[in-house]
Amino acid sequence: MSKSFLIDTTLCTACRGCQVACKQWHDLPAEKTINRGTYENPADLSFDTYKLVRMREEVINGKLNWLFFPEQCRHCIEAPCLETAGDPGAIYKDDKTGAIIFTANTKRLNAAEIIESCPYNIPRKAPDGTLAKCDMCIDRVENGLPPACVQTCPTGAMNFGDRDEMLALAGKQLAVAKKKFPKAMLIDADDLNVIYLVGYEPKLYCKNAMASNAVFDITRQMALKRMIRPLTNIASRLL
Amino acid sequence: MTNHWIDLKNSDCILIMGSNAASNHPISFKYVQMAQEKGAKLINVDPRFTRTSSKADFYTALRSGTDIAFLGGMIKYLLDKKLYNKEYVENYTNAPFIVGKAFKFSDGLFSGYEAKNRKYDKSKWAFDMDSKGVPKMDRSLKNSRCVLNLLKKHFSRYNTKLVSSITGTPEADLVEVYKTYAATGARGKAGTIMYAMGWTQHTVGVQNIRTMAMIQLLLGNMGVAGGGVNALRGESNVQGSTDQCLLWHIWPGYLKTPRASNVSLSAYNKKWTPKSNDPLSANWWQNYPKYSVSLLKSFFGEKATKANDFGYDWMPKVDDGTDYSWLTLFDEMYKGTVKGLFAWGMNPACSGANSNKTRKAMENLDWMVNVNLFDNETGSFWKGPGMNPSTIKTEVFMLPACVSVEKEGSITNSGRWMQWRYMGPKPLGNSLSDGDIIMELGLKLKEIYKEGGAFPEPILNLKWDYMTDGLYDPHKVAKEINGYYLEGPKKGKLVESFSKLKADGSTSSANWLYCNSYTEKGNMSARRSKVDAPNNIGLYPEFAWCWPVNRRILYNRASVDLKGQPWDKKDWVVRFAGNVKNGKYVSKKWIGDVPDGGWYPLENPDGTKRKDAKHPFIMRKHGYAQIFGPGRADGPFPEHYEPLECPVEKNLMNKQRINPVAPVYGTDADAYATCDPKFPFVGTTYRVSEHWQTGLMTRTQPWLLELQPQVFVEMSEELAKLRGFKNGERVMVSSARGSLECTAIVTKRFKPFKIAGNTVHQVGVPWHYGWRWPETGAEESANLLTPSTGDPNTRIPETKAFMVNVTKK
Amino acid sequence: MNVTRRKFIQITGASAAGLAVSGLGFDLTPIKSHAQMLKTKYAKETTTICCYCAVGCGAIVHTSKKGDGRVINIEGDPDHVINRGSLCSKGASLSQLTENDNRLLEPMYRAPYSKKWKKVSWDWALTEIAKRVKATRDASFEHKNAKGQVVNRTTDIVSIGSSALDNEECWIYQAMVRALGLVYVEHQARI
Repeated sequence: MSKSFLIDTTLCTACRGCQVACKQWHDLPAEKTINRGTYENPADLSFDTYKLVRMREEVINGKLNWLFFPEQCRHCIEAPCLETAGDPGAIYKDDKTGAIIFTANTKRLNAAEIIESCPYNIPRKAPDGTLAKCDMCIDRVENGLPPACVQTCPTGAMNFGDRDEMLALAGKQLAVAKKKFPKAMLIDADDLNVIYLVGYEPKLYCKNAMASNAVFDITRQMALKRMIRPLTNIASRLL
Repeated sequence: MTNHWIDLKNSDCILIMGSNAASNHPISFKYVQMAQEKGAKLINVDPRFTRTSSKADFYTALRSGTDIAFLGGMIKYLLDKKLYNKEYVENYTNAPFIVGKAFKFSDGLFSGYEAKNRKYDKSKWAFDMDSKGVPKMDRSLKNSRCVLNLLKKHFSRYNTKLVSSITGTPEADLVEVYKTYAATGARGKAGTIMYAMGWTQHTVGVQNIRTMAMIQLLLGNMGVAGGGVNALRGESNVQGSTDQCLLWHIWPGYLKTPRASNVSLSAYNKKWTPKSNDPLSANWWQNYPKYSVSLLKSFFGEKATKANDFGYDWMPKVDDGTDYSWLTLFDEMYKGTVKGLFAWGMNPACSGANSNKTRKAMENLDWMVNVNLFDNETGSFWKGPGMNPSTIKTEVFMLPACVSVEKEGSITNSGRWMQWRYMGPKPLGNSLSDGDIIMELGLKLKEIYKEGGAFPEPILNLKWDYMTDGLYDPHKVAKEINGYYLEGPKKGKLVESFSKLKADGSTSSANWLYCNSYTEKGNMSARRSKVDAPNNIGLYPEFAWCWPVNRRILYNRASVDLKGQPWDKKDWVVRFAGNVKNGKYVSKKWIGDVPDGGWYPLENPDGTKRKDAKHPFIMRKHGYAQIFGPGRADGPFPEHYEPLECPVEKNLMNKQRINPVAPVYGTDADAYATCDPKFPFVGTTYRVSEHWQTGLMTRTQPWLLELQPQVFVEMSEELAKLRGFKNGERVMVSSARGSLECTAIVTKRFKPFKIAGNTVHQVGVPWHYGWRWPETGAEESANLLTPSTGDPNTRIPETKAFMVNVTKK
Repeated sequence: MNVTRRKFIQITGASAAGLAVSGLGFDLTPIKSHAQMLKTKYAKETTTICCYCAVGCGAIVHTSKKGDGRVINIEGDPDHVINRGSLCSKGASLSQLTENDNRLLEPMYRAPYSKKWKKVSWDWALTEIAKRVKATRDASFEHKNAKGQVVNRTTDIVSIGSSALDNEECWIYQAMVRALGLVYVEHQARI
């Protein structure tokens, strides 16, 4: 059974504990930032920032909303980056957890190709060409601890566990959310081990909240993969 | 907090007003959202749409400084529609008390106003007393002079139209808030308030909170699970430091600092020990002398004897009727009367109102001792912006304290939980724990005074045996705070509870409120049991320790009816479970939380009154909660007054524009500007999730600076358009006292207000920055803008509502 | 290359032993066998309460038992009944507050009219402070006020602070300043 996240954005308060906990556990340095007229910072994910809470002010049905979206790698069930790389020494899937892991050998990959293969625009490159992104805190998970971002989340926005448990929780939380947000939905739940629950249209939260179709065509290899993929778990799509 | 963090989950309606809990107390939202999931409503009222608003079921805005108008409208609504909890109000509050004829209110002034001194003669607000010296009451609430009817009359002016024109809140929104919150007046329902500096930092701060406390009483929300008046305190141990009374007016355990007129210990005790003639009033403060004498025994140990008044004369006295608070202290320093300053774990160059005045005042010091984790704007004030070191005489000693994880001791959270912390790593470099620094300095002082000096007795006689193997030992102090038996069979043993303390010198207790925290059973604050109490409402009675005597919800005997049975059968706090015989209680037993005193309930199951019972509000002289509060400096009822600096020429509610007793200061650094076209916008200050207080412990941290790198000013799109600002542009914010450069955040989350037909803009600046960090030196403190004025009761500065301008850089 | 479960364990071990390039994921070259080792595995564990706001969240401090004995990790305490393991951005950064290059590590002294700090010893600093306190106090000590009432105080020395202190430290601190006769005793709770 692979592991999954459920990220219930309707509960997120953007305290950004997850953003710091991620850096803390991974010993990642801070970036030099400026205030760009928003609380959101840094401006983007980077080689040193695996997790970033997106913050958007949106007027929906005449009412102001402040939408929060803790953006991170989705740990795709069939990961385009992994398929594109075709190099398990650089990008591999941990069988037990389903985590998609980038190693130092990503340096030998064509970074642009890998980044473009990602439907969610997640991987980022170091000056030397090495790629990095969320590693599911796999060292913690292997030792029975939740990922740092999940452990630190105060409100239950971040959840982690066996995939079937997370799917069940997603169904339950979606039903709760629908009472306040009739258009609430789960994003790409069948394809991902990181399932987002959103109250409104995904695109309002973050540019790449939902898979962008355009990027699926980037590599021939991937296109092939998409075609031969079986229709998985229709039931979960109905949640 | 009368209640505590976990208890928020038991609420049916949570009002967040005067705080931004989601941002500044993020973990509270674990419990806020738990309540919401169970169907509770979350209401948020704030000048600006915040992280808290983003999660609210209902959000509306008000102009900074108009909370009393907003809440006064709610009181009128509750009374007009009779939505208050009648049984609770009649029996547990002073609503039936008859107020003396001298009490009057007209033109925005209460009777007894002395214009010359800007003071009230509070004797004009006294209750009528019967022949026994007990307040006269009319339980039928018909007497026109009873508190409830005076309250009705007082707030009759607060109609939604008028309130709306003052607050800028749409009338429909006011009604929605009133209606939703009023629903908690139903039996078994609980509403709670989460407030913070958004209410305290005003010239009407205390009355903001009183207005809400009165609403809580009217709705029967005090003492119950999911209710209470909950101040979200801002620092990890600001509750504890307040309990230990690092404040001019109080001694540990909220005892009074002696006035010069309290010429002896017996005069002091007599003055501050309240007397009640009602046999049903517990009047807990009648125990005052036991606590004051036990405290003196802790101060001076064996040197404190009956013969020398337990060392009472050694303690400093303050002059009657004189203020010694923060604003006054820096005013004196500015005038040059202060020579030495200890700024210990504080950064006043950024934290107090009117920073330019504060920083300038420091130039007049001969010396300063500054203890901190980091170099800071206070210790290094002499090289700050606009300073010329070669003209500044002040000697500065800057001492490195260690971080909390590098030492051992206890802190007390906002919910009054005392929790023990342990040492992880040793102090880094040559830093030391504050405890070690204090102990060493104390020893140096004792040494130097052995050779003589002015009045050396208190220094030499101060009990100072809190070291083990030459190091500060927090356990020894914690035990002293709890207190010891000094005589008798238990001599040398720790006292079990403050009920055992004595006024004859046979016990010590450095803080009676903490008596029971460290007993012969061990360190109660270090407990870790995750087992809940039988009522299963999240009290966790054996996790840490809570003052007083581990009572987790204050005033909890008001959570039951006269027969001792809970209003709320599901989320009950305490219940009387004594045996019943022939309709009468015959044995005493309370279950659930530690009750506010273990007396019998006021009535037997058969409805007969008991003579051995006590009213539930045991800390009040008469045993009743005070809807009418004759002890406040600015009136027994709250009244809307505009902030000292405001955008309106006149107060629409009454003829006084500002609080008639608000303090003002008169140095050349104390400019105030009202309705001045140079400063047309309302300004306020606040915190963000990623920084803390003056920012010294967060601006120095790269991870947090990454999230919030620069000071900013938030403003509406309308105001930005008016001024031609682009989002993200650096702009100048200025007030009559100072200015700073900020990054403009142009946001939909601020909206202009319609105030009496005019458009009023408001802006906000977080106060976490200062020139020392980040090292660019370009980010400054928002307190450069704020005025030296404050609440007349507490003198907490008015940093939440003042006037500013915002201009191109 | 086929990364097997076994290899993964070895990789994590390598990472834990500090052989991997920090933040990169995994360095596959020097594979050593330290199966499933967390960076916190051999650390001393102590509990603390967060030093920022007054919610009172519990945290676990992992301190290295070897070498410099410094903090490796601080995270929320799952057994704490209030926060149940969670921490906000400030709480999550506690380790950086502790292991921070900007910290003040030596007593410093600034002489009158000086442009710079001078590093001094604790003993010198505390001795000199005691002398300053005594000089100011003795020169300003008021036994009686203008009305002739006994007051035994000085108004020339003031103290502010601190809720950054523990309860026990607060108590001894207020005892010391009150024994000196200070009446201007204030702190964060007033502002």
